[in-house]
Amino acid sequence: MHNPQAKAIRLIEILLLVSAVALFVIGSILGDTFFLRLATESLIFGGLAMSVDLLLGIVGLLSLGQALYFGFGAYLSALVLKEISPSFFLAIGVVTLSSIALGWVASFVALRSKGVYFALITFGLAQVVAKVVYNTRSLGASDGMMGVPILQIWTPFGIVDAGQPGIFFVITMITIGALYAVLKYFLTTPMGSIWHAIRSNEDRLAYVGYKSKGPKQVAFILAAVVAAVSGALYPMLRGFVSPELMFFSVSGNAVVTVVLGGVGTLIGPILGSVLLTSFKSIIGTWTVHHHIVIGLIFVVVVVSAPKGIAGLLAKYFGKAHSGKGGE
Amino acid sequence: MSNSEIILKARSLSKRFGGLKAVDDVSFEVTRLGVTSIIGPNGAGKSTLFNLLSGTFMADSGLVELDGQNVTRMSPEGRLSSGMARSFQITNLFFDLTVIENLRIASQALEPHSNLFFPLSKSTVAIDRANELLTEFGLLESRNQLAGALSHGQQRRLEIAVTLATRPKLLLLDEPTQGMSQGDTQDTAELIKRLGSKITVLLIEHDVDLVMDLSKIVIVMAQGKKLAEGIPSEVRANPLVQTAYFGEELA
Amino acid sequence: MLESLQYIYAPQIVNGLSIGVAVVLMALGLTIIFGLLDVINMSHGEFYAAGAFISVSLMAMGVSFWLCLLLVPLFLIPIGFAMERLLIQKVFHYKDRHILTLLLTFGVAMVLEDGYKIIWGANPIKPSAPISGASELLGVMFPNYRLFLMGFGALIIFSVWALIYKTQLGAIVRASAYDKDMSSSLGIPVKRVYALTFAFGVALAGIAGVLLAPIYSVFPTMGRDFILMAFSVVIVGGLGSIKGAVIAGILLTQLQSISSLFISPVWSDPLVFTVMVLVLMFKPTGLYGGMKNA
Repeated sequence: MHNPQAKAIRLIEILLLVSAVALFVIGSILGDTFFLRLATESLIFGGLAMSVDLLLGIVGLLSLGQALYFGFGAYLSALVLKEISPSFFLAIGVVTLSSIALGWVASFVALRSKGVYFALITFGLAQVVAKVVYNTRSLGASDGMMGVPILQIWTPFGIVDAGQPGIFFVITMITIGALYAVLKYFLTTPMGSIWHAIRSNEDRLAYVGYKSKGPKQVAFILAAVVAAVSGALYPMLRGFVSPELMFFSVSGNAVVTVVLGGVGTLIGPILGSVLLTSFKSIIGTWTVHHHIVIGLIFVVVVVSAPKGIAGLLAKYFGKAHSGKGGE
Repeated sequence: MSNSEIILKARSLSKRFGGLKAVDDVSFEVTRLGVTSIIGPNGAGKSTLFNLLSGTFMADSGLVELDGQNVTRMSPEGRLSSGMARSFQITNLFFDLTVIENLRIASQALEPHSNLFFPLSKSTVAIDRANELLTEFGLLESRNQLAGALSHGQQRRLEIAVTLATRPKLLLLDEPTQGMSQGDTQDTAELIKRLGSKITVLLIEHDVDLVMDLSKIVIVMAQGKKLAEGIPSEVRANPLVQTAYFGEELA
Repeated sequence: MLESLQYIYAPQIVNGLSIGVAVVLMALGLTIIFGLLDVINMSHGEFYAAGAFISVSLMAMGVSFWLCLLLVPLFLIPIGFAMERLLIQKVFHYKDRHILTLLLTFGVAMVLEDGYKIIWGANPIKPSAPISGASELLGVMFPNYRLFLMGFGALIIFSVWALIYKTQLGAIVRASAYDKDMSSSLGIPVKRVYALTFAFGVALAGIAGVLLAPIYSVFPTMGRDFILMAFSVVIVGGLGSIKGAVIAGILLTQLQSISSLFISPVWSDPLVFTVMVLVLMFKPTGLYGGMKNA
C-alpha cells in the first residue's frame, strides 16, 4: 500500500477492531457494564458521524442536520419494538426501508442547493422536524418515548439476550461494521469515483459525461440510511428515545466527531466518536464543562490539522515513505 | 460536399448577455478530421461560441448539429456521449484527486452506466484507456500524484488527456497552450497535429502563428460576428481580417 | 373587526416589530460578514449572548444601560477583530474555507457558550427595563421600552445602511467584497477591512443582545435559540444582502408574532423554518442578491 491515507485507514481499522475484541473479552470476564455500554453508545454515534462523513468527506456536502435521520431511525425503531413486535430484524428492516424513502424525499429539498446553502437547508429541515416531534403528543412530545422492551435476538448461534451489555456491544459492532463495509464497497465502484469527483470539482463532471444530481442523491439517501440504522440501535441500548436526539447539538457533535477523527476516511469518525465519548465520560467525572474543552480541541484541530487524526497519521506515513525513498 | 463529411454545423447561433451580443448570428461548418481553428481579438466571442457548442450555455437562437444530430438543447454530458468533448482555457481538473483517478473518472463513461454500482475489474475498457493516456501524455511517472501538485505544463497536458478519455469524435480545445513555455507550446502543437490525423479538432487559440501552421481552416471572429473563414493563407491575406485582428497586433 | 385590529393585532404587531428590529440587527451582522468574507458565523448567537451578559455585569457594577449600549460594542470589536485575525484567517486559504470557517466558528460557539455557564452560571438573569411605563397610541397601551427599542434599532439599521452605501469606508468594504485582488492592488488594506468588518458584525449582534436583555432573560444558550431566527432571516433575504435582511427580518418576525394568535406559539418556529426551506428551494439565493449587486 503506497497510499498514506489508505495506510492510516487500515491502521485505525485494526486498532478499533483489536480494542473492541479486547474490551468484549475483558469486559465479559470482569462482568463490566459501564464501559461496554459506553463503547456501544460511541459506536452508535460513530455510525451517525460516518454518515456525515460520507456526505462531507466523500461528496463534499456539509450536512448540519444529520440528526434528523438518526432521530427518525431511533423513534421508528422504538415504535416498531413497542407497538408491533420486539424484533431486532423487523426494526432494522423497517428503519432501512423507511429511511430510503425519507432520504429520497428529503434529497429533493436539500439537493436543490449547494455549499453553505446546503448546510443551512439541512440545518433548517432538521430543526423543523425536531420542533414538530418536540410538540407532538402522540410521540411523547418533550418527554420522548420510554419502555422500549429488551430484545431477544435470533442469531445463527441461538437466541441471545440483548440486555446483556457484552452481547449488545457485539451486535452494535456488527451492525455498524456492516454499514461501514457497505460504504467502503461503494467507494470501490464508479459511483464512488463520481462522488470524489463531485467533491473535487463538481462543475467539471458534466464534461466527463456525468450529471452530478443522481450520484449526489444516491449518497444522500445512503447517508440517511446509515444515520437511521445507527439511530435504530439507540432505543435498544437505552430503552427510550427523546426529541433531543434530533436537535442541532447532536448533528453538530457528529460534525465535530468527523473533523476530529479525519474527514473523508469513514473510519476516522468512528475513532473520533470513541475518543470523544470516552473523553466526555472521563472529564465528566470532574467537571460538567466538557464542551469548553471539546470546543477548544475542535478549534485547534480545524486550524492546525483540518484532516484530523487520520490526516495526521497519513502525514506521518507519507513522511516515513518519502524518507525511505530518499535513502 | 456530402453530409457525412460535416461533423459539426452551427447555424445562426446567437447569445446575449444583458445588452451585449456576445455571439451574433454565427454560422459555420467543420469537416471531418484535421484542425479547424477559431481566432479573434479578445472579447470577439470565441469563448462564448465554444460554450454554446459544448453546452455550457444554451444559445438564445440558432442550431448546433453534431454528426447530423441536433444537440442545441442538449446538456454537456449528453453531448459528450454523442461524441463531443471539450477542454478548458483555465485548467479545470479534479485537483485533489490523483492523475490516474482523473483519467479513470473520465474514461469511466465508456462503460455502460448499469455498471455504476459494481467495481471496475482490472482490465476493462475504462482502465485500459486511462493507462493508455498516461503513457501517451507522458504522465506515467506522476500517475499517483495529485493533479493539483503537477506543474503547469503537466496540468495542461492532463487537461487534454481527460477530454480524450471518452474517445470523442470531435474535440474542442480552448486555448490549450495558455501560459505554456515555448518548449511546451511546441510539444502541444505537435500533439494537436497528431490528434488531428485521428479525430476532428476545433481549436481556439491566441497564438496566430501556431494556428496558421496547424489548421486546415481558420475562422476569424470579431465583435461576436464571423468575419472571415478559409484556408490560412486566404485568411491572412484578407484585408478585413488584417485591420480587425492583425492590425490590432501591429498597433 | 376594527376592535380586534386595535386590541389584538396592533399590540402583537408592535411586539413583533420590536423583536424584529433586534433580529434585523443580528441578521445584518451575519449578512455583512457573509457578504464580505464568505463566512457563515456560527458563533454569531454567542456574540449576541455576550452583549447581553456584559451589559448585565456592567449594570451590576452601576454602569447605566445607556452607557452599556456604547461600551458593549467597544468590548466586542477587539474580540471580533482578534478572532478574525487569529482564527478565521488561519483557514482562509483553503479551498473549502466555506466549510472550515463554519466549523471553526461553530467550535468558538461551543467554547463561548460553556464559558458563559462558568462565568455567569446556567440560570436565567433578568435585568429590569431601563424605561418603564407605557404610552397610549391610538387607544392602545404600548410598553415604552419596546417603543424605544423600535426607534433605536431602526436608527442603527439606518446608520449601518448609510455607512455601507453612502460613505467612503462603505465603498471600500463593498469594493473588497466585489474583488479582493483588485482592491488590494488599489491599496486597500483588505486584511484589515476583513477583520474590522467581522468585528463590526459581531458588535451589531452584541447591541442586539443588550437591547433584548430586558425583554428576554439572559442565559448561556440564549444565542442558540435566537440564531435560528437570524439564519432564517438572512437566508430568506439573501445571504449578503442588507436590504434583504431588513425586509425578511420584519416579514418573518411578523409572521411569527401574528401566526401565534392563531396557532400555538410552539408551532410558529416550524412555520418560520418552513418558509426558509421553501425560499431556499424555489429561490436558493434568497429574495435579494448579495452585497455585490444590491
